[in-house]
Amino acid sequence: MIVLDRASLRYGPILGLSPTTFELPDGGGITGLLGPNGAGKSSLLQLLSGLLPPSGGDVRVFGQAPFRNPAVLARLGLVPEGDRLPTGLRADRWLRMMGELSGLTGEALNAAVAKALETVGMADRAHLTFTRMSKGMRQRIRLAQALMHGPELLILDEPFNGLDPEARLTLMALLRDLAEKGTRILVSSHILGEIAQLTDRILLLFRGRLLAEGTVTEIRQLLDRHPVELRLTGEAQVLARWAVEQPELAAMRMEEDAVVISVRSPRDILPRLQKAAAEGGIPLRALDPLDLNLDAVFQYLTKDHA
Amino acid sequence: MSTAIPSPLATIRATALGYAPRVLQGRGWVLAGLVALPVGLSIVIFTVTRLQGVEGNPGEALKIFHGVLVMMMLPIMALVAAPAGIREDLEQRTLALMLVRPAPAWAMPLGKGLPWFFWGAAWLVIGTLGLQVIGGDPALLPGRLVALVSAWWGELALMTLVGLLFKRGTLWGALYFFIWEPLVRVFPPFLQRLTFTHHIESLAGSRAAEVRANQMLAQEQVTTHPVLACLALLAFGALCWALAGWKLHRTPIGLAGSEAEG
Repeated sequence: MIVLDRASLRYGPILGLSPTTFELPDGGGITGLLGPNGAGKSSLLQLLSGLLPPSGGDVRVFGQAPFRNPAVLARLGLVPEGDRLPTGLRADRWLRMMGELSGLTGEALNAAVAKALETVGMADRAHLTFTRMSKGMRQRIRLAQALMHGPELLILDEPFNGLDPEARLTLMALLRDLAEKGTRILVSSHILGEIAQLTDRILLLFRGRLLAEGTVTEIRQLLDRHPVELRLTGEAQVLARWAVEQPELAAMRMEEDAVVISVRSPRDILPRLQKAAAEGGIPLRALDPLDLNLDAVFQYLTKDHA
Repeated sequence: MSTAIPSPLATIRATALGYAPRVLQGRGWVLAGLVALPVGLSIVIFTVTRLQGVEGNPGEALKIFHGVLVMMMLPIMALVAAPAGIREDLEQRTLALMLVRPAPAWAMPLGKGLPWFFWGAAWLVIGTLGLQVIGGDPALLPGRLVALVSAWWGELALMTLVGLLFKRGTLWGALYFFIWEPLVRVFPPFLQRLTFTHHIESLAGSRAAEVRANQMLAQEQVTTHPVLACLALLAFGALCWALAGWKLHRTPIGLAGSEAEG
């Protein structure tokens, strides 16, 4: 369904996406595109959705180059990042226009608008203008416009940004349902947890490079190989004595009222640390992960690739 | 679901109808006001002076038509309306939502511009008819109507194209309308034909008689046959719409509303 062969994208002198190669097979399912802000996720999605042509290499979607290619565009739907919709228009009329631009007419158009609005739970509020809608409602309309022509490939760029927890769960359930019915879904996020809840297949992007590809478990194992820094605040001497006995310890430094340890497999050491603190074995007042954010994790992986 | 690829005509129709409600919002009423206010004010002043027993000057309608509507309001209308066309989607970053559709991108600038054209044209017709109240020559009325509407078509199209070609399209448009166009009085015949003013005056009657002795550089005014002048304005507008469509079709425009090198 999707084939990238050393496809790259430049914004003038800036490299948005390094030459990247991967394939997504036909059929339904969800693939997560994971990476911190600026990793190249949107660049990759813009190549796939035909908004931009590659600066180098080749991009094929349904066997054809997608840029300004109606045969490809008729079969995909895009939910771009952000909260942008035309000002001053009613949602239902705008959806009709989008449907017509997708080639729907007459009864098929009416049915598609109604079904899309029902799917996203906006059937009774579609008469509102975008300015009178909440962010969550607008996000649902943005999803509706991508769904209404029944795309085989649905591309979503950071769809969970700004949504409340309930709306996130609703959207996740909807995406799972669509995937089960045969739609191939490519969804980007900079939050591992979001992607892990949705799918087992992940593409990792960082600084315009595809770093890794695999299941959530494989990616987690990859991440576990790298030391993570934790700051243990309390009586530094006692905490340091406990830390040096741990097999996961890779490095340690002392601070005035704390000890900073660098450990491998934090998921192994954390329960032990919790237990020791609970039993009074160590005088721990606070525990702060210093680099458990995705940015730091990607930096580790980059060092690997270097 | 199987969908057909929409034709250019269907794309123009869908975009025009989809965005038509925009003309009934703030910017649309500003556009209406640009015509209605000067003409309305003229009618009020004319009525008041008539009530005071002062005879109106039949030349006033001609002055307002050429000096206010043609030289000032028409360009300002184009500068106000064109940014609400396809340029608006580019700036609001909503263009991506249209460009990922199978519809031909090149038809979209015209589709989005048509509601503004019809709305502006309607008010120009109303304004021109209003000038008849203060003494407009009935024999010149058809020419004035055709001149304003066809010039509006051309100027709106030009500004739409300029808005896609340049980031500061409104500035370049303003420079063109308020620096280049007034130079028509001192241009040699060839350059006179490269102005909207020349074609409008060829259609609606000239104000060359108003050239005063102190305008030392004033050149002899040339005229074009009204039919040719009308065709020139319509063809120029069509060319600008086509070029705007071609520019949109050819230019990679991403989610940031900016171009990639690709």
